[in-house]
Amino acid sequence: MNVIETSGLSKRYRRKWALRDCTLTIPGNHIVALVGPNGAGKTTLLTMAVGLTRPTAGTLTVLGGEPPGSPGALDHIGFVAQDAPLYRSLPVAAMLRVARNLNRRWDQRRATDRLAQLEIPLRQKVGELSGGQKAQLALTIALARRPALLVLDEPLAALDPVAREDFLTSVVAAAEDDGISVVLSSHVLAELERVATYLIVLARGQVRVSGTVRELIASHGAGLEEIALRHLRSGVPSSSRTEAGQ
Amino acid sequence: MTAHTITADPGPAVRRRPVPWPKLAWVTQRQRRGAIIGTSIFLGLFAVYLVIMAVIQNNAYAAVAACHPASAAKCQQLANSFYRTYWGGGAGSVLQSGGAQTVSSLLFAVPVILGAFAGAPSLARELENGTFRFAWTQGAGRTRWTISTLVVPALLLTAAAGAFTAIFYWYFRPFIEDQQVSVMLPLGFALLGVAFAAWTLLAYSVAAFLGALFRRTIPAMAVTLVVYIVLAMETAIAIRPHYATPATVQGWNNAGGAGWVISSWVKAPDGAVLSQSALNNLTNQVPASVQNSNSPDAFTNWLTQHGYTMWQSVQPDSRFWQFQLTEGAWLLGVSILLIAATVWLVRRRGA
Repeated sequence: MNVIETSGLSKRYRRKWALRDCTLTIPGNHIVALVGPNGAGKTTLLTMAVGLTRPTAGTLTVLGGEPPGSPGALDHIGFVAQDAPLYRSLPVAAMLRVARNLNRRWDQRRATDRLAQLEIPLRQKVGELSGGQKAQLALTIALARRPALLVLDEPLAALDPVAREDFLTSVVAAAEDDGISVVLSSHVLAELERVATYLIVLARGQVRVSGTVRELIASHGAGLEEIALRHLRSGVPSSSRTEAGQ
Repeated sequence: MTAHTITADPGPAVRRRPVPWPKLAWVTQRQRRGAIIGTSIFLGLFAVYLVIMAVIQNNAYAAVAACHPASAAKCQQLANSFYRTYWGGGAGSVLQSGGAQTVSSLLFAVPVILGAFAGAPSLARELENGTFRFAWTQGAGRTRWTISTLVVPALLLTAAAGAFTAIFYWYFRPFIEDQQVSVMLPLGFALLGVAFAAWTLLAYSVAAFLGALFRRTIPAMAVTLVVYIVLAMETAIAIRPHYATPATVQGWNNAGGAGWVISSWVKAPDGAVLSQSALNNLTNQVPASVQNSNSPDAFTNWLTQHGYTMWQSVQPDSRFWQFQLTEGAWLLGVSILLIAATVWLVRRRGA
């Protein structure tokens, strides 16, 4: 099953195209790194995948054919938006209860266990948590929903190096333990290199590279960072898309 | 590629049952706890004042009502003194400074204050803080979440305003019973019956709609204030008098107790209606003794003696509930339309 599939996907904000004629397939059971410079269209692609924004043109389906934003899609996608927006004035426990009451699938035990492990106090207000704790809380809520797909938009941007490391370790553990597919975006590939098993490079609203990390390294004979750079510089869409490639 | 499979279970089909409303309502009340407490304190303080004054006024009025015969000079004096003290403010304690007239005028602004503060942040704050990206991607879906976010505060606010009206009625009752103030006049009408709650609901709905439209709380509040003032004034002046054809009655009743006087005119002895300029001419023709008289009825008495008749078009007090229900119905209708439009805006957002 492909967790995200697009065809000729385009999004225009007023005059500016954020994404243009983007055709890509993101297979399941991977930790997918969606990489590209600022303004490449990463957030646009992800917000469309979770149903927050609708495409200007083209098609997009998730979880093997579900329309984004449909009840079936919402039920099975855990999304953490950039800066991990949560209700700052609520205590952590109330934030959990809000999320619990907004979802049909909810694993309270899992959420409280995880927070206990992370030593995030339930009485603390969300707004008083550190950046790392807030990101972990958002991840905890997303995971407590027992999603099939976890979508994280620039989850590391606001975190210090230690928090980044901890966060990524949590993501990898969740992906391995529960068999969750993960899509993470970042403008710094180096951050995701350690964990990603699948790479998509996006630039100026178009896919430059797409493929499993193993295959990309084998075919290019170079590290991920270099592969990405090479394709960003050349500006030519790569032919190594999943179907086409190796 | 094909070696990988999804292991997360798709789950049984029964799961399609949507998130129940009580759960969504809990989320809304928890998120709006601050606004609920703030509104309760705001209305509560007003209510405490009204209750204290109601006890004092009702006691004072009991003496007026018990005085017989009502036309006796002693009773007239008592009634006038009551009216002066409690309606006009006059000399009194700090509590009653201003009197019911001033208090009623202040309460005029309460629906728009409540509505703007409760309604504008409903969606605007989510859009400002970016938390809509959390709320709209949960399993409940954004439509159900939006309906709950809009409807729960609307119900709480309307109920609170309705309860407040009951307290206000108790406070205001002496002036109604005394027939000093017509309940059809804009000042009383908007604070009695269902009007107060309906106007509060309208202000809330306008603010919520504008909040979703502008995506900003403060501009939504500001524009709500302007829209509300224009609509409330327009309604009182131009719309409300037309809920029913005014009754035409002969004679000028300046006491104002019987109803809301929409217009008045004078007919000449031959039955023709006098124009304003003709009436002005007539005023100048009356003898000096009448013009300089201290009695307010001197002029009208003179007119009657010379064969003129005086007429008024009036919305009588007996139409109070008919008017209340008419106004309540259309305000409720507009509010429902605005809330539906807000849900539509949210559904469309991001299209």
